[in-house]
This record gives sequence, C-alpha cells and structure tokens, in this order.
Amino acid sequence: MTCDMNYNEDQRQILDAANALLNTSYPLSRLQEEKPDDLTALAEFGAFALALPEERGGTGFTIVEEALVHGLLGRHLISSRALANPIAARLAARLGRHEIAEQVAAGTLSVCAAVPADDSLLLIDGAKATLGVVFGGRQVILIALEELPREGVPGLGHSVVLSRVRGPLSMIGECTDSSLLDTSDLLVTAQLLGIAEASRDMAVSYAKVREQFGRSIGSFQAIKHHCANMSVDAEALSALLDMAAIAVRDERGDAAFQVAALRLLAPRVAFANVRTCIQIHGGIGFSAEADAHHYLKQVHVLRQLLSGNTMLDLPAPLAPYTSINERN
Amino acid sequence: MQLDFTQDDEAFRVSAREWLLANAPRKRGPLDGQSARAFAQAWLSQCHKDGWSGIGWPKEYGGRGLPTEKIILWYEEYVRARAPSVLDCTFVSLNHAGPTLIACGTDEQKAYHLRRILVGDSIWCQGFSEPGSGSDLASLTTTGLVDGDHLVVNGQKIWTSYADIADFQELLIRTEPGSKRHKGLSWVICDMKSEGITVRPIKNMAGATHFAQVFYDNVRIPLSNVVGMLHDGWRVAMTTLGFERKTAAMGLQLELSIKIEDLIALAECPPGSAIGKQLAELRAEAAALRAMTYRTLFKDPVTASDGSLMRLYFAELSQRIHRAAMDILGADALTDSTWTHDYLESYSETIAGGTAEIQRNIIAERILGLPREQPA
Ligand SMILES: Cc1cc2nc3c(=O)[nH]c(=O)nc-3n(C[C@H](O)[C@H](O)[C@H](O)COP(=O)(O)OP(=O)(O)OC[C@H]3O[C@@H](n4cnc5c(N)ncnc54)[C@H](O)[C@@H]3O)c2cc1C
Repeated sequence: MTCDMNYNEDQRQILDAANALLNTSYPLSRLQEEKPDDLTALAEFGAFALALPEERGGTGFTIVEEALVHGLLGRHLISSRALANPIAARLAARLGRHEIAEQVAAGTLSVCAAVPADDSLLLIDGAKATLGVVFGGRQVILIALEELPREGVPGLGHSVVLSRVRGPLSMIGECTDSSLLDTSDLLVTAQLLGIAEASRDMAVSYAKVREQFGRSIGSFQAIKHHCANMSVDAEALSALLDMAAIAVRDERGDAAFQVAALRLLAPRVAFANVRTCIQIHGGIGFSAEADAHHYLKQVHVLRQLLSGNTMLDLPAPLAPYTSINERN
Repeated sequence: MQLDFTQDDEAFRVSAREWLLANAPRKRGPLDGQSARAFAQAWLSQCHKDGWSGIGWPKEYGGRGLPTEKIILWYEEYVRARAPSVLDCTFVSLNHAGPTLIACGTDEQKAYHLRRILVGDSIWCQGFSEPGSGSDLASLTTTGLVDGDHLVVNGQKIWTSYADIADFQELLIRTEPGSKRHKGLSWVICDMKSEGITVRPIKNMAGATHFAQVFYDNVRIPLSNVVGMLHDGWRVAMTTLGFERKTAAMGLQLELSIKIEDLIALAECPPGSAIGKQLAELRAEAAALRAMTYRTLFKDPVTASDGSLMRLYFAELSQRIHRAAMDILGADALTDSTWTHDYLESYSETIAGGTAEIQRNIIAERILGLPREQPA
C-alpha cells in the first residue's frame, strides 16, 4: 500500500459530473426566486444512492467520494434536505427499515433536517417533507412527519425557511452510535468546506474586478491579506477533511479524532470566510442582491446539524510516548 | 483629568431619566418604509414638545445649546431607558444635515430647514456613495451643470439610507465640468420630490429595505440650494463626516453597554464556562468603548482620525457581541428575532460610513504617519 492524497480518476470523474449537473440544474441565481430546491435531478444523478451499499442499489462509491460531492452541494447551497437524506437512509438501514432506506436514497421519500428548540422541533426547509432527521447533539432520530401540523416560523433574515412542530413525535428510531454521527458530521463539514471555498472564490473574483482609487481593490494589501487568510484556512480544512474521510472509510482508529477536529474547525473557517467575503464586497455584500449572505445563512443552518464537541475526549493519533513523560 | 459631574448635571440626569421612562415607546419601531418614518417622526416630535430634540444644537437655531457633559448624560439615560435607536431615519437630519446647515448654510436655508428637522417634519438622506465611488468617494461622477439659476443633475447614487421615505437629500455632485477628485464638487440640498428622481429600494441581508439606489434624470435644483460655495462641496462634506464621527455615534456606542448586559442575562451561564469567559471579555471591551467615547468627547482638539479609532473599535465590538448572541441562542439562532436581526444588521458596521479597511488606512497613515499605499 502506498500513500496518495490526490484524487484518483474515478473521483475526478464523479466531481466533474456532479459539478456539471449542479451548474446546469442548481445555479446560484436560482436563490433569487426563493423557491424550495427540487432535489429530483440530484436523486436521478445518484447523489443519494451514494449512501447505500452496492447490494442495496448503491453506486459502489465510498464516503470519500460522497464527501467530495457534498463539498459541491455546499458550494451550490443545496437545501439541507440533501444532508438529511443520506443520514436518514443510513439510519433507516441500521434500524432494519430497508424499504425506507431505499425510497429515501431513490429520492421518492422527502426528508428534512430538524433541530430541537425548547419544547418543539424546528424543521428546516421541510414544509413538504414526509420524514425528518432530528440532529440533537450526540444522537440522531428519524421521525415520520406526515400527520404533524406545521406552523410557519419566520427564519433568520427572513430567508431561512422554517416550520415548527410540537407534541408527541412519531419516532421511527434513533441512533447514538458514534460511527453514524461521524459520517453525518463528515458530510456536514464537507458542505461547510464547500461554502468556505466558494466564498473565497467569490471574494477573490470580486477583488480582481472591483476598482477603487483607480485600481483593483485586490491590489490593496488589506484585501490581499484577507484573501490569503481565506485561502490558508480553506486549504487546512480541506486537507483535514480528506484525511478524516479516508480514516472514516477505512475505519481507522483515528477516525473519531479527525472528525472531532473537523467539527471544531469547519464552522469557524466557514464563518470567517463568509464574513470576509461580505466585507470585501462592501455595500453590495450587505445587500440581499449579492449571493454572499446566502452562504452566511447556510453556515448558520449547517452548524446546527453538527453533533457535540468531543475533541478533548479522544486520544490523539500523534501523542508523546507516556514512558518519556514519566521519565521527565 | 477629572470626571466630576456637577449637582446641576446630576439634576439634569434625573430629569432626563424621568422623562424618558415616562415617554419612550416600549416597543421597537417598524424597520422600514412609511411606518418606520411615522414612528420616528412621532417620537422626535414628542421629544421636541418637551425640549429633548437637538439638545446640543445652539439656542438660536431652536436647540438647547447644552454642553457635552449633559449630552452624554442624556444618551446614557436614553439607552438605559431603551428609547428608540438613534440610527433611525432622523439620524441624517439631526446629525449631518442640521449641523452642516448650521456650519455652512445661508440664513434662508437655516430658516427654512432647521426647525423642520428638530420637530421631525422633514426627513433627510445622504446621497454621497455611487456605484463606482464608495471608499473612493472623491471619484464621484454624478454631475450638476449650471443652467441659469439652476443646476441640472444627472447620474446615480446608491446605498442611500431611507431615500425612499426622505423629503430632502444632502447631495454631493460634480458641478465643475472636467474637475478631478476633491475639486469641483458641490453639496446641495435636493428635494426628493423633484421631477426626474427615481428611487429603487434595495433589500439588505437582514431582510429590511432601508437603503436605495437613486437615479437623477435632468433634475433641476435651484442654485440657492447649494450649501457653502459652489465647487467647494468637499470641504462642506468633510464637516458633515466630522460630525458623524464624533458626537452622532455616541448613542450607538453607549447602546453596546446595554446590549452586553442583555446578553449576559440571556446566557444565564456560570462564570467559569467558556461562554462566560467570552462574555466577561466583551463586557470589558464595552467598558473600554465607553471610556473611549468619554475621552473623545472631552478631548480638545479632536480630529477625524481620532474618530476612526473609536469607530473601528465600536464596529468590530458590535459584531463580536452579536456573534456571541448567535452562539448563545442555539437553535433559536435560525429564527427571526431582535437578536438575529441585529446580528445580520451588524455586518454593515464595518462597511457603512467608511469600511474597516479604510479606517485602518486612516489610522495608519494619518495618525501613525505611515506612508500611503496608493497615490491620492
Ligand atoms: C447599511 C449601509 C448604509 C449606507 N448608507 C449610506 C448613505 O446613507 N449614504 C451614502 O452616501 N452611502 C451609504 N452607504 C455606503 C457606504 O458608505 C459604502 O458602502 C462604503 O463607503 C464602501 O463603499 P463600497 O460599498 O463601494 O465598497 P468598495 O469601496 O468597493 O470596497 C470594497 C472593498 O474594498 C476595500 N477597499 C476599498 N478601497 C481600499 C483601500 N484603499 N485599501 C484597502 N481596502 C480598500 C473596502 O474596505 C471593501 O472591503 C451605506 C452602506 C451601508 C452598508
């Protein structure tokens, strides 16, 4: 076996294909219409079947490829239903509910993400969803939503689409197993990375074309350094994500540790990059007419889906030998 | 150096407190549109009725001519009573337009406008920024050509706060054909009802619509509306910006001290926790901001660059406080509320009225004397 941190041919192909699909079917300009995403094209592409083993209709790709695809979904600000979906499919399969898992993966059952808020649940972009995945710290719960009455709730900046449900939930099952939580966090952080990279790219392109004082603003060191900082942070996060994805795929001993690091860094980097992206755009960045604010709001959504912080509870893969500690 | 308020000051503080507690609206006003205008006007007119509008303005122009000590006490009581935000649609008239007219206006301009401003009858907006001229304001290209006793204005402005509900605009335009940069500009009073003006409101990232793009198509403005000398508008504009950076922001800065206390109450956290430590730091920074506000107000002379230090500290602290709120809110951070709305609005703090990068340049170049990055 050798070490290789490059994408292989298959990975490059799936990235290219997903990118092409997203560019045609889910361009960022669609966000101005304020309509919920129709995920059919992604389901037909097989984006959700990535979650299933091959013998149950999966594509034979691994979590590494799935994480790459989710990076692109993040970049294109696809509804968080595209995250709830693969988690629901895995959770259903673990519960032995393979019929649900297969329908979810095929995209014929619509699933939304939900987060607990006091004595109720907030459904994110789930007005029509039939299933919900509750992301509740160190557990995920699969619930049936069909009969539950929903109350519309004005969302963050009037652009996050929310509804609230109360009362007894019809639970299909739950899971507190770290391996499912790690998989879920890996996909959420992949999306956060996608946003961190996209906001860097958007800021850099603008810095090249926007002129003030007779030159492009990117020629000012203040802006240059902003861009460089965004780039360093995104690079570090991206490397960590690849390492974590490999560790999760190969069930390595350090998988939980790598994911714990991701959970901490991904929202921080995504927030910082999006903030800087807005700042570099000046007045237009603060308006609802540029897309930068959509990135910000999606980071707030994704952050709610991460499980709890475990960074200091886990052994580090690279730690001093205890015998040497003892000698000192 | 001393910070002794006199007995008279203390008596003033008590009267301000009592009046505010009895009169300040308990509810937050509407965010934008005509209802925001009506709310702000009603509040200002109520203030005026009892002598609380323009307390720092000279007596001859309808103010109370109060000294800085009393003004700061007023704003401290103002924010403690949770009176309406000072950054509403009366901000420009009370803090820029009025003081600029007092400093540079003709007797006729003063006689017509100042009282209307204090009473809340006329709302003003500031038309400085253009699509191509934000940080680089001196590159502006909206023109006003002299035609008899009028200027004929063509061009566009953008990010003009409250342009959709304003009666008048402080309009900065290029009146000397072929002039460059700071030269050849004029500061004129533009009646927003003039023929040829089109206002396109723009929604911001918090979902409110309080700024706009303004188009001028052969808009005729009487030459008698020029404030200061024709072609001398940059100097007049700088007077206005000076006001903004010194006293006008006082109410906003002091308000952060209240916000951090609200946040501590919201968090209900044990002092040793991570968020407790963060709140402790924010509280200390709010205390420093208040001290900076006092220093800037009682320092003589104060320059616009001193204002940049305070403005930058304020802007970034405000953003940190609102970010902490989002951490504390948990899942409720996804819903629309006063905290989440103000959090999104706080992104403008480091952009509006001179970006954080420009403030840092000013501090580095004008206060610290470092060489300029770009030719003027
Ligand atoms: C909420 C809000 C309300 C506003 N209200 C008004 C109003 O009422 N009236 C009005 O006239 N204007 C108003 N403005 C406009 C505001 O003054 C401008 O947005 C601001 O001056 C920045 O200009 P810009 O948007 O064109 O950004 P740009 O100047 O294009 O700046 C883009 C980026 O480049 C950076 N940059 C530019 N030059 C330099 C440099 N030399 N060195 C380093 N970095 C640089 C900036 O810091 C920024 O990050 C408002 C803006 C906002 C957000």
